[in-house]
Amino acid sequence: MKWISQDIDMYIKSKEYVDTAVLPLFPVSLGDDIKQTAAMSEFISLLSIQLERQFRGRLVMLPGFSYLKSFTEDKLVNDIKLWEKELLSKGFKHVFYLTSDSSWKTIESQFEGGLIWLPSLPLEHMDEQYKNTILDDQVKQLLQLFLQKWQSGE
Amino acid sequence: MSKNRVSRRQFLSYTLTGVGGFMAAGMLMPMVRFAIDPVLQAKAGGNYIPTPQKVADITEVPTRVDFTFEQQDAWYNSEETGTAWVYKDDKGEIVALSPVCKHLGCVVNWEGDKTKPEHFYCPCHGGLYTKDGTNVPGTPPIAPLDVYPYIEKDGYLHLGKAEPKKGA
Repeated sequence: MKWISQDIDMYIKSKEYVDTAVLPLFPVSLGDDIKQTAAMSEFISLLSIQLERQFRGRLVMLPGFSYLKSFTEDKLVNDIKLWEKELLSKGFKHVFYLTSDSSWKTIESQFEGGLIWLPSLPLEHMDEQYKNTILDDQVKQLLQLFLQKWQSGE
Repeated sequence: MSKNRVSRRQFLSYTLTGVGGFMAAGMLMPMVRFAIDPVLQAKAGGNYIPTPQKVADITEVPTRVDFTFEQQDAWYNSEETGTAWVYKDDKGEIVALSPVCKHLGCVVNWEGDKTKPEHFYCPCHGGLYTKDGTNVPGTPPIAPLDVYPYIEKDGYLHLGKAEPKKGA
């Protein structure tokens, strides 16, 4: 389900079936790596659309969490922990973070939710058809990951 | 100077008729258009979208066919992708099923669960459908998968808008 009123209506009606929240993480920087962070955010937002389409009945795709690359690790950990606490206390059993920013890899172990890190692909030079195929493939691989997590949690 | 001179009265009446005619036409045209609007409306429902699937290549095993089409949201055109599971049934007729689970809208996969062969499987809540799209009782979905109407054009499969299965 997307974070739009129509889908949230559906969520309210069928809450018992929705136990997963996905939070995309979008890095923002205005320094030297401005382009890199933009490409990461672009890739993750496109991927989150496809992922939502595949699993719309069981997960809520939250609006992305944007952060400055200059934030300290401690601040990021604290922020995410707040999100996590809120989500887990509101009935979500599984929380996933979706990102291309490798700096999350080092602090991953401090979160209860699963971190899905995918290196961003240079989508800017691809035509639409090819782009969709690639994203579809990525989602197919994530499918297994989600299924495993869901099965182990049951 | 020509011989048949136009009198002032004639000149004025010609001009007025001319101008009045334009004004009347300007008012009547939109009215007529409004009145016969249903005839002029472009048919959106009858559009069949081409897919990259060759009709000759369709087998008895459901295959995933992805296609793109332009979607119009008010004034914004965006490229959307659609998916269908396509196969030939026992009678050799083509069946194109929508992959959207009738439970909460996840995407179903053919034989997505190894323990349930010959079924469409929804990974979200374990919904099952038989090959013809009928929902298996006891699993969450309450209706069969939607069916795409199709036509064959130049050897390629063209799909219409997915509709609920008939007779359900």
